[in-house]
Parts: sequence; C-alpha cells; structure tokens
Amino acid sequence: MRTSLQFLLTLVWLALTSNSLAKSLPDTDDLHQHPAWLTLIHYQPDRLGSGYTSQADDDRFFLSDSGVTSPKAELDATLKAILQPGDGDDHARCIFPARDRWLRQKLDLPRDPADCPAYEEWAAELNTDTVTLVFAASYLNSPSSMFGHTFLRLDPPRNDEETSLVLANTISYAADAAAHDSEIMFAYKGIFGGYPGITSIQPYYEKIRLYSDIEHRDLWEYQLNLTQPEVDMMLAHTWEIQDRNFDYYFFDENCAYRLLALIDIARPGTDLLGEVSTHAIPSDTVRWVVDKGLVEDVFYRPSAATSISHSIDSLPDDHQTLASAIASGYVAPDAAEVQALSDEKQARVLDTTYDYIRYQSEADGWPREYAAPLSHALLRERSQIKGVAAQQGPPEPEIRDDQGHDTFRVSLSGGQLGDLNFSELTIRPAYHDVLDPPAGYRGGAQLQFLRLDARFYTDENEFQIEQLTGVEIRSLSPRNQFFSPTSWQVGFGGRRTDTETDRVFTPYLEGGAGGSWQLANGTQAFAIATADLEIDDDLRRGYDAAPGADLGILHQNNRFSLLGGVKTKAWIVSSQHRQDQAYLDANLHFGRDFGLFARFTREDHFERYRSKWQLGLHAYF
Amino acid sequence: MKKLIAGAMLMGASTLAFAQPGCGVGSMVWKGQSGIAPHVLAATTNGTSGNQTFGMTTGTLGCETSQSVQSMAIYMDSNVDKVARDMSRGAGENLDTLAVLLGVDEADRDSFRKVLQDNFATIFPSSETTSGEAVDAIVALLESDQSLSKYVAA
Repeated sequence: MRTSLQFLLTLVWLALTSNSLAKSLPDTDDLHQHPAWLTLIHYQPDRLGSGYTSQADDDRFFLSDSGVTSPKAELDATLKAILQPGDGDDHARCIFPARDRWLRQKLDLPRDPADCPAYEEWAAELNTDTVTLVFAASYLNSPSSMFGHTFLRLDPPRNDEETSLVLANTISYAADAAAHDSEIMFAYKGIFGGYPGITSIQPYYEKIRLYSDIEHRDLWEYQLNLTQPEVDMMLAHTWEIQDRNFDYYFFDENCAYRLLALIDIARPGTDLLGEVSTHAIPSDTVRWVVDKGLVEDVFYRPSAATSISHSIDSLPDDHQTLASAIASGYVAPDAAEVQALSDEKQARVLDTTYDYIRYQSEADGWPREYAAPLSHALLRERSQIKGVAAQQGPPEPEIRDDQGHDTFRVSLSGGQLGDLNFSELTIRPAYHDVLDPPAGYRGGAQLQFLRLDARFYTDENEFQIEQLTGVEIRSLSPRNQFFSPTSWQVGFGGRRTDTETDRVFTPYLEGGAGGSWQLANGTQAFAIATADLEIDDDLRRGYDAAPGADLGILHQNNRFSLLGGVKTKAWIVSSQHRQDQAYLDANLHFGRDFGLFARFTREDHFERYRSKWQLGLHAYF
Repeated sequence: MKKLIAGAMLMGASTLAFAQPGCGVGSMVWKGQSGIAPHVLAATTNGTSGNQTFGMTTGTLGCETSQSVQSMAIYMDSNVDKVARDMSRGAGENLDTLAVLLGVDEADRDSFRKVLQDNFATIFPSSETTSGEAVDAIVALLESDQSLSKYVAA
C-alpha cells in the first residue's frame, strides 16, 4: 500500500515537473544563433550553403544526433538534458557545466548549483585565480619554430609564499601524432588532417622542460585580465572538451586556434576566432590577444640557450677561455687557476661552465659518461662558495615577438632586367626574411610561405609569373668557441630559369648547408654549399642539377638590413655550364610597417653578362 | 592551500607517461641525452613532452611518507638537474619550489637553502645519485635539523 502510494506520488511529481518543464522549455527563439552558443559548440559557418558544422570530431561532445550540423537541435537537447531532475557526475549539468551556466543565465532559469563531485574536485585542484597565455618563441637555428606555440597557464592566487608558478597547470591543444609516423607522413597528415587533436592538462614545469630546456625557446607569459567568472567559464568549457577529439591542422585549427576559442568563451564578444582567415600563426594570435586589450602584464622567461649565451657573453675573455677549457676537460674544476679567482669570479666561471655542459648534453648529445662526472664536480665546487648569488638572467628583449613587423607583406617595385623594363608585385602571406625589420625576430632566420612574384614587362605588355615560392627556410647562425651550429637552407616552388634562348617557368628544389661567423654585432659572414634541381621539358634532358656555393655577408639592424655576396652554380646534367652571380640587397626600414628596398644582381650565364636592378616598397599587414 | 598544491602536483604526475613503481620514484640524475632531434615541423606540432626516455630506478621512499615529501619526490624526478644546480648555488626557482612543496615558512627559507647548499655533497655523493636517493638524503638532513624537521614529519 505504502509502495503504491509512493509510486503514485512519484507519478504525480513527474507529471508536474515535466509539465513545468514544458512551460520553461520553449521560447529559446533564435538563441541557437547566438554567437556565444555557436562558440560553445565550436560551430563554423559552412563554406557552401547557410548551415553550420561543428569542428568537434567526437560523438561524446553532442547530446543530439544531429548536433554536429544543427545548433538548434543541440540547444534543445542540451536544455532538455540539463533540466532533468537530479545531479551527479553523469548528469548533463556535470558533463557540460559551461553550457549549463550559459543557458541558465540567458534563459533566466534557476541557478541552483548542481552537485558534481568529479568536476568540483578537478576545478579545486586547478585552483585558478588568473589565466596566462604562454607563447613559446622561435629559436635561432630552427626557423620552422618561427610560428611559435601557445598554451594557457592556470595561475593559483599569488598572494602567499606558497605559490610557485612552475607548479601551475597548463592547458594545451596538440596533435596526438603516432610515434612511428615518418616525417613525411607527419607533415602530410598535419596539413591535410588526420591527426586527432587533444586538449590536455600538464604542470608548467613539464612545459618549461620541453620548450626552455630541450627546444631552447624563450617563453613569453601574457597574464590575461579575465575576471573570476570568466576564468570559471573557461575552466567549465575546458572540462567539456578535455579528452574530446578535434582534428588537428597545422595551419588553421592548430594549438593557437583552440585556445582562442577558450578565450572567446570566457569573454563573449571577444571574437578572436573572427581574426583567423586561412592560418592562425601563434605569434599573430598573440598580437590579436594584445590588441583586444586582454593582457594585464607580460613576463619573460629566457630559455636555457638564451641564458647560457648571456652568461658566456658576460664573462671576460680570459674567463671564457677558462670555462671552455674546463668544459673540454683540459682544466679540472678544482684546479689552482680556478681557485685563485675571487669567490664571485670563480662562481661565475663554474656556473657558466655547468650550464654550458648541460646545454651541450641536451642539444648536442654529449655522452653521459663524460658530461655527468664533470657536471657533478662543478656543482660540488660551486657548493663550497657561499653567499654568492647566481648571476642575473638575460635582460628582457626591448621588442617582444608580438611587437615585430606584421607577417603579411605586399611589395611593389620597378626594375630592369638586361634592357627590359618591368614592374613587379610580390605577395607574401608569411612570414619573415632576413632583410625584413629584425626586431622581434631571430637574427639570420628566414621563413617564407606561398610567396608570389608577378612581373609586368612594360615594353612588351607582357605579364609573367617570375617566381612562386612554396616554402623557403633559411637559418644563418654564427659559430664560435662554444657553439658550432650548422647554417642551412631549403626551398621549393617554381621559378623562371634561363635556357639560353628563353626564360621558362620551371619547378625547382634547392638546399644548402654550411657555416656562419659573427664579424660584429648584427653582422655575419656565411659560406654555404648549395644544390639546385630544376625539372622542365624545356630542359634538354627534362631536368638539370647544380652543385654550387654561396658566400656572403649579412648585416641586420633596426634601420636597415644588407645582404651581399657571390653565388656560383655548375649545371651538370642537361647543359654543362656555369652560372655566376654577384648580388646586393638592401632594405631601409621605416618603422615596422614600411620599407624601401633595392636589389642588384650581375650574372654571368651562358657566356654573357646581364644585370638586374630593382627598387621598390614593402608594406607589412 | 598546501594540500591543494600537493594534490595538483600528484594530478600532474599522473598525466606523465610512466608508471610509478610503488610509492618511491626516482630517475637517473645527469641524464646525458634527450633524443629530441630537430625537425622541420617541430614548431607547430608540439606533439608530446612525455617522450623523453626516463631512466627509472626505484627509490627507497615508503608509502608512509607525507604527501608533501611525495610531491617533492615527483618534482625532483622531473627536475633533478635543475634542483641540484640551484642547490649548489644556494638559491633559485627550483629550490624555492621544493620549499613550497614542503611548506617551508618564509622565516625558515634561508636556513633551508643553507642546509641544502652546505650538504650538497651528502645529498648528491656522486654523478650516479638517483633522484630517489637525493630525496631520502634531503629528508634525513631536514629531520636532523631542529627548525626544519617539522616540514618532513610523516
């Protein structure tokens, strides 16, 4: 009897609640078109048609079967699910806390807190007071790292002595690449899709280890000015997408893109994703975040490589030699000549030598049998010197990476090739060449993508594609007593090549390796052995190859950049001849938005001399 | 607060790509090489950081050690060469982090740093010292110090 009464009561209650639900459910109007909702479910307008498709590639992210393409169906399903009575970890309110929060706010629904033990424990452990956007800058001898990398750091309250930011957690979005995939597979899948992208949480010290110690990249920390409710919203959404798959694409839907979405969700109306067109370069995304007024403060964390270069440069010459001798094993860490130094000088030499050996072990793979005992001996000696603090780290660069010139460049120029006049338009979507304003970029590093040089020969009214650069990477890093990096370059695309009778457009592949030596601050001389391959049916055997050399001098400063030298190529397959060239390039920088450039080459090819000069203007967007 | 940090530490550690042998953790100190080769797309891929090959040895910590000591052990495991460096200099971010993990009060930080620098050779007797052995030595040292023993009490 009692049971059936309970049953009856339950039925009545269910009827009542579902009735009241039915009343509060409707009237979502076009809420499903609200930008914040579209962002929460990661909808993007379809390229064709007027619909939307979510970028989430994971069924568990949707409550409606048609949720992937229907914002309305997903909103209705979500609303229904979060209004179900009860709570607990499996309840929709606990699985989708950000949607729950937003819908309740928009529809003025009761905001009684749900009991979600797992989510609450997670949020309490993250203990987030502020959020910092961390940008891993590019490293000198790794132009491909020029794109940079970004992730978010969740900072605990900083008002007590028990805060250590290296223990803070970070949110990052990364390709989950299978370890056995080859480089080529890696590049292919990265560009055309195929890698799942996963949002993950890791302690900051693991990130420091990876970027600062192993990859030698400086970290810039942009503390965001998000309020506590905004931070909570970001965490709630992180919970929703954690371990959910969003396919990863290097160029647009990459690490930076997903983080922009998180910021957009935290502060609706920011619309950082609206800035993304064809590609989201992390350093550009940092600019957008700065431009939208989201940054409270900026901190700099130099990498192991930057710190060690600074320590070495700070030592007087004879102490540099001493440090080098200790590192090479010629002088023991406790040798008389070390101990003869004052405490402070001795500490500097020991610290620098230790950091240098650690760096070389990491970067150059010095064998452990050699590096480990020596490192240990250095530290033991150092621990005997009391009261001498470690040296101040390197100063923060005056120009941050996000303050360098913009990466999209358009150039207009006029010139003469032999006795033909031409005007030229160059469009370079990304990123930087050694003649661009160097501030905010690594010296000697160059990375260009999809650059188009189009010429109009005015006398003949003829339009010609001069060159289409697919990718061009160049890295000139000086060698010295301590470091011996290889300078290298690689590129492919299509370009005009001289067949003696004609200039034909041919696909090419080029590469080179060599060395570079610093002559003065900002000036280096380089010697590169090069190789060129051209493929075209206008060439006698269908292709031609040329070993060669490139010797030159590069000078970079904030007012102008100069590059000059000589190149020689010996074409050996289709036609056996030499191509010798002297070149001089100069760019005059007007701030970071404009530049005036001049280019001169004189070439000896097929037994004839020909000059080319060009004068024009660069604009950076 | 202290507990929260320790909790976050342990959670962080659970995301690492290695299994912890029992409660004790330790890795070879002065590991020579990283095996990260520079490659063309290194920048934007940022695949994983769990691919460093840790040379694991079982430490000697028992399960009854306090949570703060375990947190310190986990931190030492990932950062032992940086902790050793800071220790030899008597200061640095990694040494401060150890102090935070052990909950050492501001007032005791100077003596904490001094004890560790003075006893560097005891904590790291050779280049073969594992992080687990170093943690044991640190705990033993702090236990025998009047003002610092409270921070490592089980």
